[in-house]
Amino acid sequence: MTPLQSELASQWITLLAAGMLVVQLLMVVQGMLLTNIRLFALQSLMLAAIAAIIAFFHNATHVYWVAGLTLVGKVFFLPWLLNRQVRRIQIHEEIEPLLNSTASMLLCGGFTLLGYIVARPFTSLERLGNNTLGIAITLLLTGFFLMFNRRKAITQVLALLTVENGVMLAAVALTTYGMPLVVELGIFFDVMVAVMVLGILVYRIRETFASMDVDKLSQLKG
Amino acid sequence: MTLLIAILIVPAVAGLGCLLVRTRQVMAAANVAAFGLTVALGVELLRRVVAPPHVVTECEEFFRADALSAWMVLLISVVSLGSALYAGNYFRRDLAAGAVTPGRVKEYFVLTPLFAAGMFLVVLVNNLGVMWFALEATALSSVLLVALYNRSTSLEAAWKYVMLGSLGLALALFGTVFTYAAAVDKTSPVLPSFNWSHLMSVAGQLDPRMIKLAFVFVLVGYGTKAGLAPMHTWLPDAHSEAPSPTSAMLSGVSLKVALYALLRFHILATACLGTSFSRTMLLVLGLGSMFLAAPFILVQNNLKRMLAYSSLEHIGLICVGVGLNSPVTIFGALLHMGYHALTKPTLFFAAGNIHQACHTLQMRLIGLGMAKVLPGTAVCMGLAAASITGLPPFGLFFSELTILSGGFAAGHAALSTLVLAALLAAFCGILYQLTRILPGIPRITRTSDATLTDGLPAMGLMLGTLAVFSLWLPAPLLQVMQQARDIIGGKP
Repeated sequence: MTPLQSELASQWITLLAAGMLVVQLLMVVQGMLLTNIRLFALQSLMLAAIAAIIAFFHNATHVYWVAGLTLVGKVFFLPWLLNRQVRRIQIHEEIEPLLNSTASMLLCGGFTLLGYIVARPFTSLERLGNNTLGIAITLLLTGFFLMFNRRKAITQVLALLTVENGVMLAAVALTTYGMPLVVELGIFFDVMVAVMVLGILVYRIRETFASMDVDKLSQLKG
Repeated sequence: MTLLIAILIVPAVAGLGCLLVRTRQVMAAANVAAFGLTVALGVELLRRVVAPPHVVTECEEFFRADALSAWMVLLISVVSLGSALYAGNYFRRDLAAGAVTPGRVKEYFVLTPLFAAGMFLVVLVNNLGVMWFALEATALSSVLLVALYNRSTSLEAAWKYVMLGSLGLALALFGTVFTYAAAVDKTSPVLPSFNWSHLMSVAGQLDPRMIKLAFVFVLVGYGTKAGLAPMHTWLPDAHSEAPSPTSAMLSGVSLKVALYALLRFHILATACLGTSFSRTMLLVLGLGSMFLAAPFILVQNNLKRMLAYSSLEHIGLICVGVGLNSPVTIFGALLHMGYHALTKPTLFFAAGNIHQACHTLQMRLIGLGMAKVLPGTAVCMGLAAASITGLPPFGLFFSELTILSGGFAAGHAALSTLVLAALLAAFCGILYQLTRILPGIPRITRTSDATLTDGLPAMGLMLGTLAVFSLWLPAPLLQVMQQARDIIGGKP
């Protein structure tokens, strides 16, 4: 691989990683559930593109697998599953979050700074792109925030999935080729099963409480 | 013969086989048989690990069992066997009372062996990434068990469990990725092996900053799954809302399996960084858990929540034992794992019997006189409570004494005094709480004579094993614990 190619790959990866962060911030301020699901699909598409670029420029066949699995699982299957669930339970809009969108945005700006500060000592270890590790940690932090800020069960599931996207980004940024295929496959199937199990629970919560508002889940204390 | 694969396959086959079976009795028998078999296989594994070279590997080192794994396999299989013995009659009574549907009971008998198989995979696999997804699999299979009763409270508990658990596991995955990244050789395009044994052999060359960052993530992540304070908030909910046999497995072994994963990283971090970093963090979290648990035990009104907080306390103590990092305290911690795994399920089985007889877990509503209503249950509960509070002649007395004396001997007098104080507080708490329900004149009358013997085989098995091993540790068992102690303590 020529230095020019390497530079090109690195810039594409940085661009796409930044795109993932922007999409994450859009999710933080977006209230419509269906739009949030589409944003998640877009973010996963960018992740898949990053994996494909790495596979292409480094001739790593097993990373194509990662890209393919991400595309099938997180860009098509999971959004479809979540979409169906939202339609089935007939709730489209998130109720008022804990923090309004201005405050959330400011806070997430702070998280981004924090993510970059944490990643600072490790930038020399990054093998691809600039500051992708910082973005990965930011995805983790904002994902957590999204989870605590929202009250709808499905948004919490989405938040969890964005955290998972962050992990995958960290994996490719730090190791170039991601993890061994058996681990990637395991993680992929775990995420699929997790969302299905969560779906079952959301459905049962909806049946029992006539709502998927997690505020209602507050009987157990002490 | 492929022993490790057999240990994994037996429960998995039993679980999937239950999908095809219609009658409850057959499913319960299949569960008991499967776990009986894994106990036997576990003993065989113990026998092989004790002999040199002290490691059993299969499938080109994909599966690897050393003394620590063998010890965990024994704990998982014994507790699962006890739970399977108890579950059959427990669900018969639940079905008769209309508390569950037959479909849910089937769910239990299918998911429980899969849950156990996941735990076996965690302790037997060599690859740290596979260990992560095995732990996630245990979380996913147990969450539906927690929600089995489909009450509003059990759904809430399950939701908290799966959300906090998944968050924790996401953090642990970050930590796992960082650990892997620390092992990547920047100059070579070859993917390094992700095997724990390989990482240990190159521990000295790993990037120390990366390992530090990784350990912090793993500690918070697996610490959540192990129920360490302050990430424990799911624990009392899940343990109190799950059916009693599941509570027994969650409390008896599932917490310890998560702790096992944490210990593997602790060993790696210690080998890479020297001793002080990871063990200090374990000490702080362990002590924090003990001190947080004690007051909650004292004021708790729900019987199973009280037992859950007691588990939090014991997990804390095990962490402290490992964190003190002297050979004596680590040995005490391993011993404590074993005795706690034998004692806590008995308490949950007894609590399950009381729940079914009184239809509530609120100790105020249960009222006095359980010794007259359910004499067998009350005797077992009393004995197990004596054990869990650390009274002689039961094993927990010896293991707590070992940890404390080791702590004092290693020069951590102030710390050991703190541990003693937390233990005393929990001791008073549990005994006080049980005097509220066991003695006295009962409020309800005995329903039928059938309740007299319910759950006795399971409780008898656990208590009998506890009694035997409290007084007599066979040489191979002692040897395997000493080897495990050396693994954690960092000897080759």
